[in-house]
Amino acid sequence: MVDLATKSLLHDKLRFLITVSGVAFAVTLVFVQVGLFLGLMDNASLTIEHLNADLWVTSHDTKNIDFAHTFPETHVKRVRAIPGVARADNLIVWFMNISLPSGSVEGTEVYALEDFAAWNFPWNVVAGNLQDLRRGNYMFLDASAEKRYGGPFQIGEYREVIGRRLKIIGRSEEAKSFTTTPLTFLDYTLAQSLVPSELRGNTTYILVKLAPGANVEQVRGEIKRRLPYNDVFTGKEWAQRSRSYWVDSTGLGLNMYLTVFLGCLVGIVVVAQTLYTSTMEHIKEFGTVKAIGGGNADIYAILGKQAAIAAVLGFALGAVMAYALRPLIYKIDLKLVIPPQLFAIVFAGSIVLCLAAAMISFRKVASIDPALVFRT
Amino acid sequence: MILEARNIQKTFTEGRETIPVLRGIDFAVDRGEIVSLEGPSGSGKTTFLSILGCILTPSKGDVIIDGERVDAKRLNDVRKRSLGFVFQQFNLFPSLTAVENIEYALNVKGMRGREARTEAKRVIEAVGLGDRQAFLPRDLSGGQKQRVAIARALAGDAPILLADEPTANLDSVVGTQVLEMFRALAKKENRALVIVTHDPKVRAVADRVVKIHDGRLS
Repeated sequence: MVDLATKSLLHDKLRFLITVSGVAFAVTLVFVQVGLFLGLMDNASLTIEHLNADLWVTSHDTKNIDFAHTFPETHVKRVRAIPGVARADNLIVWFMNISLPSGSVEGTEVYALEDFAAWNFPWNVVAGNLQDLRRGNYMFLDASAEKRYGGPFQIGEYREVIGRRLKIIGRSEEAKSFTTTPLTFLDYTLAQSLVPSELRGNTTYILVKLAPGANVEQVRGEIKRRLPYNDVFTGKEWAQRSRSYWVDSTGLGLNMYLTVFLGCLVGIVVVAQTLYTSTMEHIKEFGTVKAIGGGNADIYAILGKQAAIAAVLGFALGAVMAYALRPLIYKIDLKLVIPPQLFAIVFAGSIVLCLAAAMISFRKVASIDPALVFRT
Repeated sequence: MILEARNIQKTFTEGRETIPVLRGIDFAVDRGEIVSLEGPSGSGKTTFLSILGCILTPSKGDVIIDGERVDAKRLNDVRKRSLGFVFQQFNLFPSLTAVENIEYALNVKGMRGREARTEAKRVIEAVGLGDRQAFLPRDLSGGQKQRVAIARALAGDAPILLADEPTANLDSVVGTQVLEMFRALAKKENRALVIVTHDPKVRAVADRVVKIHDGRLS
């Protein structure tokens, strides 16, 4: 079978390049926009996922993990007393000021626990021993601070956190928040002593690990009964709530959807326009196809195949461009997350949208009068 | 008779005006016969050719191919099975080589694979372009393009060939060569050939000349 569709598409190389570029541009736009969004969302719930608590007790109506509010730390005792609870610990998440050697003051997001090792948190410790945090005025700092604070830090150096001189005894990697504020890990009591007005006798979260075989809903119901002025979420719910806050309250979601929509629109318009122009230029050829006995379906197949080829090649080029951008995006401390599902959705979307664009030409083809082959 | 037209009438409507183009034409051509259909511009000869070629349907009258009345709902099938066309402007696909142009037409008619390729090569050899079969139309002269178009019409076993001004875009010498080759092949393969033309050279190759004037044969 002679492949008129492919040969005709490749015959006009400039037009073909424009069509494929249009699709590739749209695909790159969608990958980058959605990938950045997913990267940010990943950061928004990264610590929640790595703490891996079965249940989170929060103050009432807390929107996300970064914007914590206090409640009495003694609540943890009531939680520990509930059957089915294997472990419950207070967690403080709090923004504090950190003074840098340059003299400038920056923000840091403090995570404070009594026993970090029990929660395997932070999960990627590259230097130091978490058990040492409780031995004095010590801190762990995440490597992301180097970029934000304008230079590298060494184990053994000191930083002032709210006026208290703390020694850096460890370093973690990959621990990030949505706000991009670097994370500091402190002993629970030390954190309370730094902000006594707010944190003395208070915590911001209770992390709950269930005993094997315990019923999550039963335990949750009991915690709610005992702590009626707190909220209780499963780890998944809390992660989702934290992500949703940024999506809904910042316009980030709307921005992403809008850009994805515009990306798709640009792709459709470019493909539709080039295919339609091509159809108009080849109208006599299509008339010839009809005159020699072909039907509309034969011509639809040609246009459909051309659209599918443009979609596949455009997708491949767009995906390569998006992957090529990843290192650059990492350099500015952002993540481009392209999970296999996104890959599959964008591929299917490219095919569907290109075929939809080809349908605009279908209408023209349907109206072709084969008698036009006799006109000069 | 392989092709008959009985009392063919065709009117076109422009606004409120009805314009009669063909006013009752009876026509017949047999296998192996070559007919030149001549007439001035606007006489209706191209409309008549379109009706004979099952591209247009008549307002009244019947087209009969090989004894069977053409059903207006099955024009595509009739064109595939029974008709081969040669156009004034060649109408070759610019992205396909000479032999692919022929093979594609065969594909549309339902012939595929090696069978189509063999038949395409047979006819391109028959029109003397065996050494040009891999050329794109842009690399062929006008006469060579028209030979490819003739080969495309001959490909398969369509018993009726219809040509619309096949020499209009060729110079006199090449036009004569193309016509003689076309005649020889049509005769050899026992095909009926109807040529619509202004070109007096066509008379030399035709068995019969039919004139059309104001929508009537004279």
